[in-house]
Amino acid sequence: MSSASEAHASDGHHDDHGDHHHELPFWKKYIFSTDHKMIGIQYGITALLFLAFGFYLMMVMRWSIAYPHEPLPGWMSWFLSDDWKARWLQDGKVTGETYNMFGAMHGTIMVFLGIVPLGFAAFGNFVTPLQIGAIDMAFPKLNMASYWLYLLGGLVMIGSFFVESGAAKSGWTNYSPLAGFADSQIVNQFLAGQTQWLLGMVFLISSSLLGAVNFLTTIINLRARGLTWMRLPFFVWAMLVTGFLLLLAFPPLEVAALMQLMDRTAGSSFFMPSGLYTKTAGLLEASGSGSPLLYQHLFWFLGHPEVYVLLLPAIACVAEIIPTNTRKPLWGYKSMVYAVIVLGFLSFIVWAHHMYLTGMGPVVSNFFQTTTVLISIPSVILLTSMLISLWGGSIRFNQPMLWAAAFIPMFGIGGLTGLPLAFNLVDLHLHDTYYVIGHFHYVVAPGVLFGLFAGIYHWYPKITGRHMSNFLGHLHFWPSLIFMNLLFFPMLVQGMAGFHRRWYNGGDAYLSKASDSVNIFGNTVAEWLWLNPVMSWAAWLLAAAQIPFFINFWTSIWWGKKIKNDNPWDATTLEWSTPTPPPHGNFTYDVNVYRGPYEYSREDHEGDFYPQWEAPKRDEPAEEPAKKPVA
Amino acid sequence: MEIPYTFTARKDTGLFNSKIGIWLFLASEVMLFGGLFSGYVFLRLYADYPWPERALPVLPGLINTFVLIGSSVTVVFAWASLKMRQWGRFQFFMGITIFCAVIFMVLKGLEYNAKWHHQAVRLDDFTILEGHTHKAELDERGHLHIHHEHGAEPTEEEKKRQFPANVVVVEAEEINFTLVRAHDPYVKDILAKAKERGAVPVLADNAFFYGSPKDLPIDAAERKKLEDQLIKSHASGKEAVRFGDKKDSLYIPKDTQLTVDLLDRAEDVYLEARAINGEVRTKVLRKLWKDAREADKEDLPNFKLAEGIQIDPEEHLTGLVAEAPSALTFTFEKPVALHFKRSLIREGEGSSKLKDDTIIKGAVASSPMGLAVDAVDLRWVAQRAHEQGKDPKTVIEGLWIMENPEFKEIWERHSAQLAILTEELKKDGREPTENDKYRIDWQDLVAFHRAHEKHLEPGSPEVADLRPGMFEGITGPNHKIEENQHAFFSIDIPNEKVGFESLFTPKWNNYYAIYFTLTGLHGLHVVGGALVLAYYMFFSKGLYRRNPEWLANRVEIGGLFWHFVDLVWIFLFPILYLM
Repeated sequence: MSSASEAHASDGHHDDHGDHHHELPFWKKYIFSTDHKMIGIQYGITALLFLAFGFYLMMVMRWSIAYPHEPLPGWMSWFLSDDWKARWLQDGKVTGETYNMFGAMHGTIMVFLGIVPLGFAAFGNFVTPLQIGAIDMAFPKLNMASYWLYLLGGLVMIGSFFVESGAAKSGWTNYSPLAGFADSQIVNQFLAGQTQWLLGMVFLISSSLLGAVNFLTTIINLRARGLTWMRLPFFVWAMLVTGFLLLLAFPPLEVAALMQLMDRTAGSSFFMPSGLYTKTAGLLEASGSGSPLLYQHLFWFLGHPEVYVLLLPAIACVAEIIPTNTRKPLWGYKSMVYAVIVLGFLSFIVWAHHMYLTGMGPVVSNFFQTTTVLISIPSVILLTSMLISLWGGSIRFNQPMLWAAAFIPMFGIGGLTGLPLAFNLVDLHLHDTYYVIGHFHYVVAPGVLFGLFAGIYHWYPKITGRHMSNFLGHLHFWPSLIFMNLLFFPMLVQGMAGFHRRWYNGGDAYLSKASDSVNIFGNTVAEWLWLNPVMSWAAWLLAAAQIPFFINFWTSIWWGKKIKNDNPWDATTLEWSTPTPPPHGNFTYDVNVYRGPYEYSREDHEGDFYPQWEAPKRDEPAEEPAKKPVA
Repeated sequence: MEIPYTFTARKDTGLFNSKIGIWLFLASEVMLFGGLFSGYVFLRLYADYPWPERALPVLPGLINTFVLIGSSVTVVFAWASLKMRQWGRFQFFMGITIFCAVIFMVLKGLEYNAKWHHQAVRLDDFTILEGHTHKAELDERGHLHIHHEHGAEPTEEEKKRQFPANVVVVEAEEINFTLVRAHDPYVKDILAKAKERGAVPVLADNAFFYGSPKDLPIDAAERKKLEDQLIKSHASGKEAVRFGDKKDSLYIPKDTQLTVDLLDRAEDVYLEARAINGEVRTKVLRKLWKDAREADKEDLPNFKLAEGIQIDPEEHLTGLVAEAPSALTFTFEKPVALHFKRSLIREGEGSSKLKDDTIIKGAVASSPMGLAVDAVDLRWVAQRAHEQGKDPKTVIEGLWIMENPEFKEIWERHSAQLAILTEELKKDGREPTENDKYRIDWQDLVAFHRAHEKHLEPGSPEVADLRPGMFEGITGPNHKIEENQHAFFSIDIPNEKVGFESLFTPKWNNYYAIYFTLTGLHGLHVVGGALVLAYYMFFSKGLYRRNPEWLANRVEIGGLFWHFVDLVWIFLFPILYLM
């Protein structure tokens, strides 16, 4: 009674409205597809490619930090054209300008082109409609448009590496006025990297807007019969909240991007203060009286909710994987749901904790300190619930569970290191140091990425019908865990010693300088400089550790172990009741949901799991009824 | 496969999909415009210049408000007609809605167009003058001649020669182009202007581009021999020639005429040389590092090693790198007057610079800006005087513009009017605003002119009634009316007096920047919405026959969007036009 097809047969239903499977032409099936599963896969693969590219940029930066006086090694630069190298490398060495460009684009690509599309768009697209028993998204064509806009935005961003000015180089936050006059020497502003960054951003924001509207509508209106709100898997709840964050937080960034675009192309001064003088452009030839602070407010109004847009899909994946592999219900499901809603709400009123150093004044500062500390409560509820869910379970340490288990402490470190930054007094010292970098990379890299890797290993069998290799999985997991920590933990140490996050030569300039009243970091920086090569090697080896994953990912499609049935993990949620891979239209039976999402190890039921779709037997006591079954 | 609830409502939510979708979309739109509105508040609160108040002509905005409200009503009628299954009535009301959208955009277009032809300038003493630039041209001697008179329409021939009197004239002797950065349209522009004046820029000196290290003799004497030979054999032709084994190198003889193509060819070789050099230098540096590490007995960490030994590839490069200049200089036989739009050039002592790093050597000739002034704004002068603890009146008396007799008379009339106004307001216990005190707008100028014609003394109470009404000059001052041409005084502003100038575009100040951003974005919404509604009107008969309810739902969400667009305008109108 474990597989869906059996359940289907025993139910005796027959789906008269079942879709007759038409073979679609290749371009409609794989390229211009409106099927949420194919779009999810497109998103996933594109996002993984962007992640790899963002990772490459970081490896080059790590070279410049560890070995600032040496030319870039051949293995990192052989595929670059001579022209490009002549323009952007000095005697093969990474210049400050190139470092800034790579730094800005690393951040942008990782956040906007890598993790958000992988977490929200790829997993959300593939899993959400399946979990709520829908045949597709509410607006399949918008869904396709969303993907193509995303790709267009990504290509515009990547393309900007090859224009004369190079890609954007004012940090991933693109703060004005720096971003305002960078590349201002270019006559045709549409060919300047900074402008293309903004254009790319407008495409990406439009894409995520379409995606968010689509997800929310789907979750609200297309749930299957009997799938009440409190029977939704936690994954769907997380997607719902993420959707709202994207819907409401992105427009202010679009405003900021449009205003900066006006500054660049129409000569306005939204973010350019009066009397701005720069070495490159001289005295600003514009009206002035703009406000750089306005830009920061608009940016971080998006920027902070964005953190949760990155995070929630990973938590969502882990929250599905833990109950499945501990064979017991998710502990505190309801409190997790309420926590995630509160988290979503609070995330809109903490943004200015990124701006303590702008001199907003103590009143504003206190408000944001308070809300920032408050938001740690729902985060801790989420993490603790997942931790307690492990207690007393008979844990199966398969590949997804390994990653999910590692997610908890890794994300824990990320979260706890964030607490000191919430207080502006401490932030004065740590702001813009490697401590901050270490903190948010712990959240995003070993945190979010581990959760998403867990998700990939978990749903891969549903997508392809085959398991990924266990051996290669271990070869991927253990080095990744070690090198991630070797890469990011020293950052916390260096940051406290005063390493600034934007040194392209890794603090090398401090080496020969004695500390004095001007240069108080002289000694501490020199003391911890040796960590630079250690972290860089960890980064490069981390890249090597992804090779097994790459091989695993592409070979298991054809040579992986076949799954035993449609529900290989013996899971309870609806996506495991479909044929594998799910056909166009997803379900081959009339979906009815009878119970909550995590009914594992119920004493009154034979077998250790009770799927949502399985009808109760006649002699069993009636389930808690869904309040109003929907026709 | 049919997605459920596309046109029927789901029972428990009571909504069909696209209705949820449009509400969510509108929530996001609220955040979008909300962001811009908060930007407006922020910019206005922290403006360090006098914020323009009631600076836009109200009438087009007012008409547009009613037009949009009207269209919001008709779109509902259109939807109701569909619900009643009356296709003809639907088309009729939808037609009116779309027609309203067209009126809205046309009025918007007229308003924008007026701004784009309206010049503003801030003098170095913070006097602000608004008006239209006169036409100007360069005479035979290359002097700037400004046409102040409002004569007959210029002929086509004249139109071609003339340009707005807002240029900097440079007596160009020498022009230096940076090969990579030189912007083709700029080069073409310079060539065309020089040709008009009968001059041709020619290369100042022989230029040798060694595109490959093989072509470059190491020995200096040998190199000179090679170059002499090239000069001898090719000087007469005045053509750039390729040389070297594989023709990697380029020789451009002195006096070769400037063309875009020539710069492109030189750029190609320069880039080639740059790429080769980068590659060679990288290889050398890599080897030096390898050697240094092998020689290092103590096994120092890399950064210590770098500190201890100075690794410099420079001395190891003999005979390995190519050589090509990155810029080329062209000269004129004798100085040639070239004019550039003021915003495109940074003029300096003896050498001026274009945005693409092209350097033009030569003296800057007298380049006044010729302006028919339709408004004078001294609020900034007054604000600065207050800030510096000076009396605004005395500061204003000493302004450069006071030297203009026409303005002096205007200022007298204005001061007299202000005195009357102050008296009147005093009765209600009020005071004149900064706008009243220090801004003379075009209606004032026309009123003063009419008073002058009627021989009214300054301070006559009738002057206030002579101001043109709402319907004269719907989009602002009209320079084509003869009376206005007499009312608006002309002034030539010397180049060094011009502090900052711009048309009334986002560049002029943040008020116009936010005005264009907000109304532009709103205009895009109007166009987008109208296109969707037009699609329902013209191309949805088929859907109407198959499933009229579905079409009604579509029109409903289109109408919801249309109402939102209307609502945004209702916020925009007061904050931009009235406050």
